[in-house]
Amino acid sequence: MSANRDSASELGLDFFGNMTASISHELKNALAIVNENAGLLGDLALLMEKGRPLSPERLVSLAGNIRRQVQRADDIIRRLNRFAHSAHEPAASTDLGEVLAFTVALADRLATMKGVTLTVEAGEPVTVEVRPFVLENLLWFCLQQLFTAAGSGTTVALAAEAEGATALVRIRCAAGTEVNAAATEVERAGQPLLAELQAQLGVAPAGGELLLRLPVRRVG
Amino acid sequence: MRVLLVDDEQELVATLAERLEMRGIDASWASDCSTALELVHTERFDIALLDVKLPSMNGLELKRLIEADCPWMKFIFLTGHGSEDDFHACSAESGRDYYLIKPVQIEVLMQKLNEVFAGTGGQP
Repeated sequence: MSANRDSASELGLDFFGNMTASISHELKNALAIVNENAGLLGDLALLMEKGRPLSPERLVSLAGNIRRQVQRADDIIRRLNRFAHSAHEPAASTDLGEVLAFTVALADRLATMKGVTLTVEAGEPVTVEVRPFVLENLLWFCLQQLFTAAGSGTTVALAAEAEGATALVRIRCAAGTEVNAAATEVERAGQPLLAELQAQLGVAPAGGELLLRLPVRRVG
Repeated sequence: MRVLLVDDEQELVATLAERLEMRGIDASWASDCSTALELVHTERFDIALLDVKLPSMNGLELKRLIEADCPWMKFIFLTGHGSEDDFHACSAESGRDYYLIKPVQIEVLMQKLNEVFAGTGGQP
């Protein structure tokens, strides 16, 4: 946890470590499934040599399993590559919805481990001028705090919308979820990220929802 | 030997169970903790092979719950990480030798299962 980190760079390093560890775990799982399917093919071939029949459908099914896991691993590596490159991208006009979707893809496995489902709600395109990595980091920071508040078996939904000269990110838990403690922790420990993004954090009056306001254009 | 495999990657445990069955092991599997707990309450297993990182609770917590009801059972942990933290946590729980890193070779797993089962006094 990054409670004592005092700069956006240090928080970024924590974030990078968390995400790459999770991605490596996902990759290991894909490889483990390929390994077992390949092993099963070998086992079945040995049994066939001993006279046990092997149906073509079974072979096709196992080949399909391997192909799916290779595709999965390829998707994971593409995500890792995009994430790695985002770490040194300068501030630029960025589709906020895309950043939300990418952050959810990155955080999905860790959310699942907490029993939380992450979704992104479609909305009008909103463009903000940010360093994508810093925004991904702040969103992850918010999500991390909300996992405990939301609880297992719940859904956390992210949505972006324009609000005059600001862009608004809604991070919504189930109605009635207490999110004030999460907001306080993000404001305390995530302050370097909020400052770098010139963002403001709030809680929806009805509760259950963090509101993150970002300037559409950076000042200074 | 009756073995319970628990990993949230369903395709992994189902395939592994089939391969163990081919080698004479009576294997069942679960892809979540609640199903695993139901299985140990309805069937008798000798060994559980548990993924360290599971949704809702980790493999070490699941081990403690299973052990409370089935004190005879032995455990082998399986992880994708191989991190130092996992290693120390699992070593403290079950001994250095009961910790395997994915992807695991079936021969290595069979050897480990046989060792652990022999330690229970059973005959493979």
